[in-house]
Amino acid sequence: MMTKTQRVKPSYELFDHTADMGIRVTAPTMAELVRPASEGLYAVIGQLAPDAAEPARPVNWRLTGAEPAVLLRDYLAELLMLFERDHRIVREPVVAEFAPDRLAVEAQAFKLDQVRSVYQHEVKAVTYHALEIAVIPGGYRATIIVDI
Amino acid sequence: MGDEYTGPLERVDAYRWRIPKSYKPGMRVDGIIYADDRLIEHIKSDKSPEQVANVATLPGIVTASLAMPDIHWGYGFCIGGVAATDPEQGGVISPGGVGYDINCGVRLIRTNITLKEAQPLMEKLVDRLFANVPCGVGKGGRIKFKRAELMKLMEEGVPYVLKRGLGWDSDLAATEANGCIKNARPDYVTDHAYERGNDQCGTLGSGNHFMEVQVIDHVDDASTAAALGLHEGNITVMIHSGSRGLGYQVCEDALKELRGVPEKYGISLPDKQLVCAPVRSPEGERYLGAMRAAANFAWCNRQIMTHLARETLAEVFGRPAEQLGMHLVYDVAHNIAKMEPYEVNGERRMLCVHRKGATRAFPPGHPELPQQYQAVGQPVLVPGDMGRFSYVLVGRPEAMEQTFGSCCHGAGRQMSRGAAIRASKGRSIAKELLQRGVIARARGRTGLEEEQPDAYKDVIQVVDVLHNAGISSRVARLRPLGVIKG
Repeated sequence: MMTKTQRVKPSYELFDHTADMGIRVTAPTMAELVRPASEGLYAVIGQLAPDAAEPARPVNWRLTGAEPAVLLRDYLAELLMLFERDHRIVREPVVAEFAPDRLAVEAQAFKLDQVRSVYQHEVKAVTYHALEIAVIPGGYRATIIVDI
Repeated sequence: MGDEYTGPLERVDAYRWRIPKSYKPGMRVDGIIYADDRLIEHIKSDKSPEQVANVATLPGIVTASLAMPDIHWGYGFCIGGVAATDPEQGGVISPGGVGYDINCGVRLIRTNITLKEAQPLMEKLVDRLFANVPCGVGKGGRIKFKRAELMKLMEEGVPYVLKRGLGWDSDLAATEANGCIKNARPDYVTDHAYERGNDQCGTLGSGNHFMEVQVIDHVDDASTAAALGLHEGNITVMIHSGSRGLGYQVCEDALKELRGVPEKYGISLPDKQLVCAPVRSPEGERYLGAMRAAANFAWCNRQIMTHLARETLAEVFGRPAEQLGMHLVYDVAHNIAKMEPYEVNGERRMLCVHRKGATRAFPPGHPELPQQYQAVGQPVLVPGDMGRFSYVLVGRPEAMEQTFGSCCHGAGRQMSRGAAIRASKGRSIAKELLQRGVIARARGRTGLEEEQPDAYKDVIQVVDVLHNAGISSRVARLRPLGVIKG
């Protein structure tokens, strides 16, 4: 008898990787990987709180020319850049498109509240090491390693 | 599925193991790992020997793909890896052979302050260093550079910051490459890299980076130690940091730019992370130019922190830094690629030497060494962990013959960050360190837990392999007294 596979819930977990850290993300669709992947990256950096007094700024990325796992990595590298350069984080990113060769994301970027934020790690880079998006029962699983 | 290495490892002698080039298709040379019987068992527990074999496939690689005893799993290249390629033979440059933290390195400053004098002031000293040296995530530097100034800094290296009064003339000779690799191309550093690192020159960073106050605890070789100005019972300051966000982004940008480039040059790679370009290609020259600019930035970063350390010790001990004898012993890079001449099969060849988590270790008489070290060899600085010891070694002639003048760079982790945090449950690492006589300050929430002494192998095991193999020789042991971390 056929059983209906349950769709996995969007979520992330952090895992150990020698001197660095890994983020394992699951979601029912590739597009839905983006939000928990963003949250996972921020969770590695620390407990990041937006500054409610500062107006948010719209940001968007249109990434092309690579396979989906690399596009997701490229997107996270953009988030890291936004964090380091502008001290901003995004909340609830909206994926306009996640096709095999392109990823488009729009979001609001909030200034960090330096008082309420607690930092844990400086992320040097989102690496290509063990990078993958795998199809799993009920959805997708992305694996990303960040260099600490 | 286990991550352990199951391929061949043939014993060469008591301290070397060979991965024969017959192991996998495409290997052009053997892999050689330096380790004793104890360390090799640990080394086999991850895929780093596989990475040594993968590096052996790179075009133009000469003699062997090498790994030091502090080898562990990295990105493409293992940490602790050394690979020399010959540009005249199609040799390549690979950003993965340098790493994200370009010119991450270590410097050691000696003093004439004795342990007896320092001990009562140690807590104040550590607190003042913690206040004066910017460290931790997102911390900007105290000394600001405009963009045009930063371009000059990346081109000229340490001489540029000395002109701004941020060091002593004698610091230059005591810095690898005199603090400046020639042919740096700041114009190849992207706006993103500039924006990410423009306020970070003179900052420690986070992770395993540190500034440590130490005492020279034991001297192995009294005459060499004296030549280095190291005397038992005196205080030293060690700094471990790199090129900060600027260097990370130079690597990030290069890895993107080099996508598709191996295919363009007909290079087949067993691991995409070994992405590379011929040294003699526009893409290779572009990465090398930007990498050199980031390397010069890193030397300036450590130079500015040296200035801050001198200011702080002068304030705490009430005497100018000159009177405290705060001379730079040496500064060495351990994540870098440099053009260096070597004798290969009786022929003098200019090679591109990648050192990723490996320290240069030139022997006595090498023309690149300053006059004061001509007789003893280049100081090699090997940090351990913040509870045990660090070591000062010097390079030996065998390093030129066997390892392209290279040595280990540290103890190497034996525990993941998560495992270290779990092992810290119910303990206070700061208190435990204090019981060992180490005052520690850290900005990160779990910085001390993740970097606790047990997270690292005992550095003596690593150092002894290379001492016994004749690559370098022990000079002095340094015991930590105080440490600041990001």
